[in-house]
Amino acid sequence: MNAELGDRERRIGRAFVALADTMVDDYDVIDLLDRLVGYSADLLSADAAGLVLADNRGALRAVAASSEDAELMELLQLQSDEGPCLDCYRRSVVVRVDDIAEAAHRWPAFVAALENRGAFRSVHALPLRLRGQAIGALNLFHHAPGPLPEDDLVLGQALADVATIGILSERLIRRGEVVNEQLQTALNSRVVIEQAKGVLAQHAGVDMNEAFDLLRRYVRANNLRLADVARRLTVGGLDPAVLLVSR
Amino acid sequence: MTRAVLLGSRDADQRALAERLCRACVDGLDVDGAAVSVLTARTARATLFSTDPTADLLEELQFSLNDGACIEAATYGAPVMVPDMHHGTETARWPVFAAAVAERATIGALFALPLQWGAVNVGVLDLYRVLPGGLTVAGYADLLRAVDIVALLVINRLTVPAEAADREDADGWPETGSATHYEVHQATGMVLAQLGVDPVVALARMRAYAFAEQRLLVEIARDVVARRLRFTEDMS
Repeated sequence: MNAELGDRERRIGRAFVALADTMVDDYDVIDLLDRLVGYSADLLSADAAGLVLADNRGALRAVAASSEDAELMELLQLQSDEGPCLDCYRRSVVVRVDDIAEAAHRWPAFVAALENRGAFRSVHALPLRLRGQAIGALNLFHHAPGPLPEDDLVLGQALADVATIGILSERLIRRGEVVNEQLQTALNSRVVIEQAKGVLAQHAGVDMNEAFDLLRRYVRANNLRLADVARRLTVGGLDPAVLLVSR
Repeated sequence: MTRAVLLGSRDADQRALAERLCRACVDGLDVDGAAVSVLTARTARATLFSTDPTADLLEELQFSLNDGACIEAATYGAPVMVPDMHHGTETARWPVFAAAVAERATIGALFALPLQWGAVNVGVLDLYRVLPGGLTVAGYADLLRAVDIVALLVINRLTVPAEAADREDADGWPETGSATHYEVHQATGMVLAQLGVDPVVALARMRAYAFAEQRLLVEIARDVVARRLRFTEDMS
């Protein structure tokens, strides 16, 4: 252990090692993306981070977020129509919004929605790039206005690249079309996970955030796949009580 | 191709949707035949439509052997693409099925696409070509889009309230984009736990309630998630 390494460098190192560990044979892409947004928020001191992927129709859909905060999910969703994330995806470039108050002319609906909630003042969107084309974007939200330091942008892009690799190599890339297949599977997994969160929220009397935590903890403690457990909770007859015991 | 599938699809029943999807695939993609089958335990196994006897034979073989690309696609909810049926490693997962196919028909390539809504499989589209080879990237993207839309249309038909079934304004799902609202999925999970039913029935109950109350499905979903609304057995 190098004493000169700062705390942040150590955390960055640990994050990449953990991500690499996740990407073993037959891993769960949703689980990887879920961890990745968590690290992004943590390492880039973002107050929230979210990842969107383009679906078959080219619309952006939220697949992972650092918190299951309904408002955050809505913001990510809203960007299907307009916002920094959509611009980032369409033009395949980093979009920086140091102060959203100054961006009202660019995305009136998005900025109004942000201001209504009063939570976030700056947004940065980093593209998930494949062969020069974006397949989605990583969004970083901050409560305070101000630019993201250049170093942080570089680190953020590295995390976005890990996400791209993770999505693409879930199975071996043998054909060009494999990208579509992975995206479809990831987006479909998201539907099952949302349903499973509902099952747990109802069963345990908790909110969606806690429901997702329960699901994550069970999956990781037992070395299972998020999408598999979610599927078993919705159609496979897995008793949600089993997940509460290990709480 | 997506357009061909969508044209006038709102009132189509499952069988008509299956036929439209199969014909659009044979017209728009480089394949020789197509079939759509339903494989879930709830519904009896059935081929909804097939374009020709070979496509039909493929379905029959998979049903009788309970093995093959189509069964795998339905089980795992992911596309199974076999550009070369004569390639041993590609067909190694279902050797019996591959041998039975080789014995009875000339199939070079086989593609099985699940019609999927979350964990619910509503059917599988099987495509075959006499000559081996993959689909083009654009063709495949178009195919996924068409399959996605047909899956939503089938779920739409399965869950549309009886009173609304023959009305013009029967909440057409793909158009309203409700399908991408995460609250609808979360509420589906809560209602399935409240009633002890499967996701399709839970969604059907929410849609029936939305229809009766003259409100949007997503509004009902938000009420469920916020615990302002709870579904019970005796609620009509």
